[in-house]
Amino acid sequence: MSAGASLLNANPGFLRDAREEQRKMVERYYADLESAGGPKRPVAYMLVGGNLTEIVRSFGYEVVFPEIVALNCAIKHKSLEYILNAEAQGYGLDVCGYVKNDLGLQAQGGVTPFGKVPKPDLLVCSFSGCYVYIKWWEALAETLGAPMYTYDVPYQRTEAPLKEDVEYMVAQLWEFIHFLEKTTGRSFDMEELKRVLARSRRAEEEWVRYLDAGRRRPSPIEAYFEAVFYMFPINVLRGTEEAVRFYETCNEEIRTRVSEGNYPVPEEKFRLVVEGVPPYTNYRTFWDFFRKWGAVSVAATYPKVGGLFDRGFYHDPSRPLESIAEYSLGAYVNQSWPLRRDLIKQYVRDYEADAVLIHGIKSCRSFTAGQGDLRDWLIHDAGVPTLYIESDHEDPRYFTPAQIKNRMDAFFESLDLRKRTGPSAGPAGGHAATTAGASATKEVAVR
Amino acid sequence: MRLVQIQPRSGSRPPEVPSKLPGIPSSAGAGGTPSEPLPVLLPSGQALSPDLRELRDLKNLEEILKNARELIRDLSFPTARAWAAGGGTSVAFFPVYTPHEIAHSLGMLPVTVHGGGEDLEITHADAALGSFLCSISKSTLELAITGCLDPFSAYVFPYICDVSRNLEGILCRLKPGSATHMLHLPQNFTSPATIPFLVTEYRRLIAKFEKVSGNRYQASELTQSLKLYNERRRAIEELSELRRKEPWKLPTSELYLLERMGDLLPPEAHLPLLRRSLEQARERSRTKRDAVRVLVVGPFCEQPTPDMLALVEEAGCYVVGDELNMLHHWTPTVPLDGDPLENMARSYVQTPVDIGVRATPIPKGDSIVARARAVDAQGVLFLTAKFCEPALEDVVLYRRGLDREKIPYLHMEFEERSTAYEQSRLQIETFVESVLFD
Ligand code: SF4
Ligand code: SF4
Repeated sequence: MSAGASLLNANPGFLRDAREEQRKMVERYYADLESAGGPKRPVAYMLVGGNLTEIVRSFGYEVVFPEIVALNCAIKHKSLEYILNAEAQGYGLDVCGYVKNDLGLQAQGGVTPFGKVPKPDLLVCSFSGCYVYIKWWEALAETLGAPMYTYDVPYQRTEAPLKEDVEYMVAQLWEFIHFLEKTTGRSFDMEELKRVLARSRRAEEEWVRYLDAGRRRPSPIEAYFEAVFYMFPINVLRGTEEAVRFYETCNEEIRTRVSEGNYPVPEEKFRLVVEGVPPYTNYRTFWDFFRKWGAVSVAATYPKVGGLFDRGFYHDPSRPLESIAEYSLGAYVNQSWPLRRDLIKQYVRDYEADAVLIHGIKSCRSFTAGQGDLRDWLIHDAGVPTLYIESDHEDPRYFTPAQIKNRMDAFFESLDLRKRTGPSAGPAGGHAATTAGASATKEVAVR
Repeated sequence: MRLVQIQPRSGSRPPEVPSKLPGIPSSAGAGGTPSEPLPVLLPSGQALSPDLRELRDLKNLEEILKNARELIRDLSFPTARAWAAGGGTSVAFFPVYTPHEIAHSLGMLPVTVHGGGEDLEITHADAALGSFLCSISKSTLELAITGCLDPFSAYVFPYICDVSRNLEGILCRLKPGSATHMLHLPQNFTSPATIPFLVTEYRRLIAKFEKVSGNRYQASELTQSLKLYNERRRAIEELSELRRKEPWKLPTSELYLLERMGDLLPPEAHLPLLRRSLEQARERSRTKRDAVRVLVVGPFCEQPTPDMLALVEEAGCYVVGDELNMLHHWTPTVPLDGDPLENMARSYVQTPVDIGVRATPIPKGDSIVARARAVDAQGVLFLTAKFCEPALEDVVLYRRGLDREKIPYLHMEFEERSTAYEQSRLQIETFVESVLFD
């Protein structure tokens, strides 16, 4: 999983200030990183799922998310080069593309088209939602010699976090804090952490406000392709004023879009919920396959890989470590399949979606294993037209544009027919109505 | 022996798979007359059924092996059916590490389901799981879809990888009336909070087992179960030791069968078979061959076919260490003093097993060298299941360690239904030659 695409060259006309600001923010981030590393500005590598950005930053670490670096490489069409390097080291075809991108990049000295990524002084493995995290971090620890701390996050199998799970994580967080105190020689400042968490909370609330705008008809946001741009601050810069300001700018822009009628597609024909990681190597091409049909994503699961804030998993300065623990539990792929299924169904209802599009990633089992069953469930149990397509997030060899386009065209054609003539003519075996028709659309204020 | 009475439940689809039912003989085998069956009482007070007693009393090693081969190939899970016929409940555990003793202490039959093996054709599971996934995940789902797992009342999937974890989510949709559980096996092995967490996790499992079995958990029963399982672990260790020292007397392809049948049998029936096998294997007069001693790494979850293992040996290897049937080798013994759940949790957390599905405390490269030397192996054979990411990622680090120490290795991938035996034979023979003559 990952988040925070930044260097995307796709930039359809409805995107304005926020997109521009995000681009600059990312450039600044990578420029700053170039000089980081070593005792003065130590670097911690972290994983997006369940990450501990606030704690690690409070000890003066610069933070690198190799998943985000990897997706940036894919967007810049550099991932294949690093993947081939990793394959030459012995990593098989079926290993996660992010892992191969990173290990190939490390072997090539960390040099990317957008800056040099420093080596880690610390590896923080938040084991939340993906087993590959463990393997990946072990490989980095062994190859680069950095110490690794594993923060074990229990799989989330109940809607509300369980007390014992939270206690277990809080105990680990204290141990991690002591470990950081020892490693850096700095003392932990709880009051400072609370201040940082208060800023995180403000950014999270603004981010949720932005995502909620997808409930409007027509949707003023693209909740997949556009939201992916904006995931960067919520994961990497959480806890800073910069992140808060950024989401305020986003919401300001959404208000302007609504007042000016500047929408992601000129005429919104299909409202989609999208599940799965995007094919970063062909981001613009994939997006175009939606746009040509007037299809807009109104909600998506992937922007929630860093946290299900919209489901109440917020940071809370009055319960600092407990809320960090709960946040870590709430990473999207750390949710059991029943919870994932329910969430998607709720998105379809709350965002009045016409259909679900699932993009499976061939080298990501965490997201993908079971998406076929999800499709079956959506079609047969939930009555939602659903299309499943498969490629890869990092490896362009698995993106077959003609085939994907054909399948999407056929799907949208049948959705179109279904809209005009009723469900029996539609896709998904003529299953029942697309949405349960909740009335949420206009109730969501876009301030 | 009437072990296999496949009666499809009314209204459910019959199992499509077992075209060949196991030929478990009607006598106890050439080497002996069945001893007077002693009623072995299980923790719940249930007696071992006549079928299982008959199996337990097999006397001759060749007959035990023959029955083991047939038993593990029978996808109708005859032991679980026999258990159900006797009024008991069974649990299907996915590999690699799961707490069988807990189920046993509640009078349930713990069974490890190692997928569908070579006989199962995948027709439904592909669509649910997607491509690029290991065979064991697909065949296990196929078994569930086709009704072969119906004799089980509970299904447990440990968090050994994302595929196993996600399978539980599919199974719980498929079998809404059953107990399913995704067992979170912790990955932080240094925190004092990990053991209490794992105890909590075990208690969650117990709550589900109590519901489906109708029995109450008792610490004293679990201690008894641990004792029995410790004895079994000891017996398996002795067999492994014989295999390591004199592999010609007990090749891995046979040891594998002896261990694997224990995934289907109650330990009360398995243990005597192991003991008898050990006695007879020790007495075998077989000639030592000129073969290369290898450590087999990678098949900790999906298992190669017995034919594949035999082929490795025929092609010139003595397998003197392996990752097959890892559950039986996870820990040498679980302490019996004190709270049994805590003892189990402590043993899981504190046994530093180097395996793809558990974070490893020491560098992989060093670990593999130490492991190869511990069994006096001349080389390492990586036998990894296709699409098994935990195994594939480790191979790179292992290889670096072996390269450093100039220990030869060969990497081959397999699938449950792979038939490319001749190609594999050629690869292994070439490897053997290079080790013997370089
Ligand atoms: S396997 Fe999937 S969830 Fe895990 S790191 Fe790779 S893309 Fe992310
Ligand atoms: S074979 Fe490997 S990938 Fe497949 S379920 Fe087992 S451990 Fe997971």
